[in-house]
Amino acid sequence: MILAVAGGKGGVGKTTLAYNVAAALDAVVIDADLGMADLPGGRGPDLHDVLAGGADPIEALRPGRVDIVPCGRTLAGARACDLAALEGAVTAIEQTHGIVVLDCPAGRRADAGVPLAIADACLLVVSPRAFALADAIRTRALARELDAGLVGCAINRITAEPPTAAIADALGAPASVVPADPRVGRSVSEERPVVDAAPESDAAVAIRELVGRMPK
Amino acid sequence: MNLAWTVERDADVSLVRCRVHNDSAVPRRVRIESQLEGPVLPPRRAGVPEAGWDETGVTLRLKPDERRALGFAALAPPVDPPVAVVRSPAVDPDGCHSGIDSEAVDPDPETCSRSPGSVRDALRDLAEHRPPRAAIAADTDTGDADRRENEAGIRADGSDDGPDIRGDDCSAADLTNGDPGSANTDLESPSRAAIDEWFDAVEHRIGRAERVTDADLSTATDAVESAGGVDELAALDERVESDAERLRDLSDRAASLATRAEATDTPIEALERLS
Repeated sequence: MILAVAGGKGGVGKTTLAYNVAAALDAVVIDADLGMADLPGGRGPDLHDVLAGGADPIEALRPGRVDIVPCGRTLAGARACDLAALEGAVTAIEQTHGIVVLDCPAGRRADAGVPLAIADACLLVVSPRAFALADAIRTRALARELDAGLVGCAINRITAEPPTAAIADALGAPASVVPADPRVGRSVSEERPVVDAAPESDAAVAIRELVGRMPK
Repeated sequence: MNLAWTVERDADVSLVRCRVHNDSAVPRRVRIESQLEGPVLPPRRAGVPEAGWDETGVTLRLKPDERRALGFAALAPPVDPPVAVVRSPAVDPDGCHSGIDSEAVDPDPETCSRSPGSVRDALRDLAEHRPPRAAIAADTDTGDADRRENEAGIRADGSDDGPDIRGDDCSAADLTNGDPGSANTDLESPSRAAIDEWFDAVEHRIGRAERVTDADLSTATDAVESAGGVDELAALDERVESDAERLRDLSDRAASLATRAEATDTPIEALERLS
């Protein structure tokens, strides 16, 4: 199964959520944000190399608590990527590792659209601010055009009670509330997902709830 | 349904251009097929054929009295007529609103994709993801500039100390005194040769690009052939563009350096009195 974690805006916590959801699903997470990679990199080939035809997708896999396919950090690398090769790369990893989570870029360009077109399902990450919601609705429309079924949305980094019902209504999918928790924020850089670090925390419960909605 | 066409043949490629006009009072779905013996090379965006095109032709939906121009290339030699309307049934006017009839488009049998067409749709219909070339040029240029600045900084720091200046001067003076000719050639000519070489290469590239600029079809075809393909020419275009940028930078820098050089006035006599 291929799950895309998308959201209209940058900075709403797509990467963090993708990483933690991948941990709960025991999945591989692929950093598909070609222009602004966020997941920890490392030595060896990355997704830029794979999409430029310079490496095998499996070679780019970096084992850890959550297996990661990192993405390069250079603009030249992003420019050299052939997005048409993404589907083959993701499918190859899906065949060997089962579940794949795609951390998608913000926006409505082809690099945001192609992962949605590849994915079987998508998860929207929303910030509770009104302007972020507008972007999420646009991404929702894009996902619908590209047949990525929306399985749920995560209202991320909540400090006050959000208008959950209104957001779920606007996006047309059940919404889970992920409270602001510094352990979630640190989870990616420390490579310690919150479902391990604090399994009883509200954030871990919310992530398990999101994962429970995934199609089996 | 009216169909008019022209065919042009150049360098083993036939370019077929047609105009199609729906002269009836109802919207029609029209299938236009190539009569040439070989596959159609359809118009593409981001490497993906435009919607409605396949190996044998195109399927369009035309409103009443709508005219459309289209064209394709093929490797096969021209025949007369090169295109034909295969069928043009009337369609429900409340159906699809776009000019392309997606129902009539055959899914590509070669794509064993789980979501047929949607990756291609995303690539074709969404904006280009690649960062602009200028951003990358700026990126690497800044990197180089930073490095150059650092090196310059190290030298400048060194030369802030009095003794170092003397040291530098002495070594230069030693070299010059010892064997002025060889010192000059050793120090200057390799870089000067490199600069000349670079200018020659740039001139050559610009010359090639000029031959293609505003060229007629046959000259352009020759140029494409001698360059070894359109891809090569695209690479050339990219190079020439970055050449232009660098040349402009160079000329700005040279002009400002010349102004500064003219403004300097080393008081040799006063300095001589000091020593």
